Amino acid sequence: MSAERDPDAALMLRVKQGDMQAFADLVDKYKQAVMNLANRMLRDATEAEDLSQMVFVQVFKSAHRYKVSSKFSTWLFTIARNLCLNEIRRRSRHPTDSLEARSSEPGEPPAPQFEDKAVVSPPDRLLHGELEAKIQQALAELPEKQRLAILLCRQEDFSYEDIARVLGSSVSATKSLIYRGRETLKQKLKPYLESGAWKDAG
Amino acid sequence: MMNDPICHRLRELMWRRKLTAAEEAELRAWLETHPAAREDWEAEAGLAAALERLPDTAVPNNFTARVLQAVEREAAAARRRTGGGLWRRLGWLPRAAVATGVLGVGLIACHQMQSVERKKLAESVIAVADIPSLPSPDILQDFDAIRASYPAAAPDEQLLALLK
Repeated sequence: MSAERDPDAALMLRVKQGDMQAFADLVDKYKQAVMNLANRMLRDATEAEDLSQMVFVQVFKSAHRYKVSSKFSTWLFTIARNLCLNEIRRRSRHPTDSLEARSSEPGEPPAPQFEDKAVVSPPDRLLHGELEAKIQQALAELPEKQRLAILLCRQEDFSYEDIARVLGSSVSATKSLIYRGRETLKQKLKPYLESGAWKDAG
Repeated sequence: MMNDPICHRLRELMWRRKLTAAEEAELRAWLETHPAAREDWEAEAGLAAALERLPDTAVPNNFTARVLQAVEREAAAARRRTGGGLWRRLGWLPRAAVATGVLGVGLIACHQMQSVERKKLAESVIAVADIPSLPSPDILQDFDAIRASYPAAAPDEQLLALLK
């Protein structure tokens, strides 16, 4: 992969020379994809935002190590993968109290619950929201590598070789991860997939 | 059936993207001859569509600006941490040369110390070797008998008086 063929690699060459505009262009191009991946891996929008920021800071700090011979997006998502897995491991070592548990002191009555009147919930939105929540839930329950492989599959312009490179696995192992993950998802979402809710929703 | 090359290829394509019209037609033709696989393919298509419909995560408008600020902060912190900017600019070759020099001086000093220690040890051995041999203890075997035979002489009183 040469800088002439990969416009991102050309931008990275400029970043290596300290060009902040080139770096800003790369952030603009990939922020959505990195945020999606981080949010679906961590299931926390705020943490996903912080982690995405860290991913790009890491890209800048490691720019001198970037080799033009490798595809930029593969390199970027490898950094994102490492940070996501580190965060998941950190969480498993230091599980934090949930916000609900922290909201009231022992002995105090629980805070009153208020209806969110800003959210309109017509039946179709409810269906969509429910389906979306089920998919997110089923994805979250997959083993980390299967989840990551399935999410990277949806990344445009990513070949199976690219996904394998990000995961640090062989292509056949990557396909096997995707197959097993999708089989689990199909089983868990069977009632929704059979009902055709996915066709109507959205 | 799932190992059928056409089924396998189309499945792997569907995992990554929507099938093209030509691929859809190929799939329909294949399903005509493999009706038992239809249910599984519908589930595959349903899952692909459901994953496709997952909404994007909201990205704040100022995300890029915040990243650039964070990079600036990191760079400033790094500059503060490494006051010795010159050392950083030197590169690995001069650093390796300095490290080798320090190691060399250390080795030479260690070797010198060992030589001095060895010299001192040799001198001590020579000093011990030069002491004349002591008389044999055999000559003292009759000491007690001789001492008993000759009681100590009485003091010479006259001489003492003269000396006074």
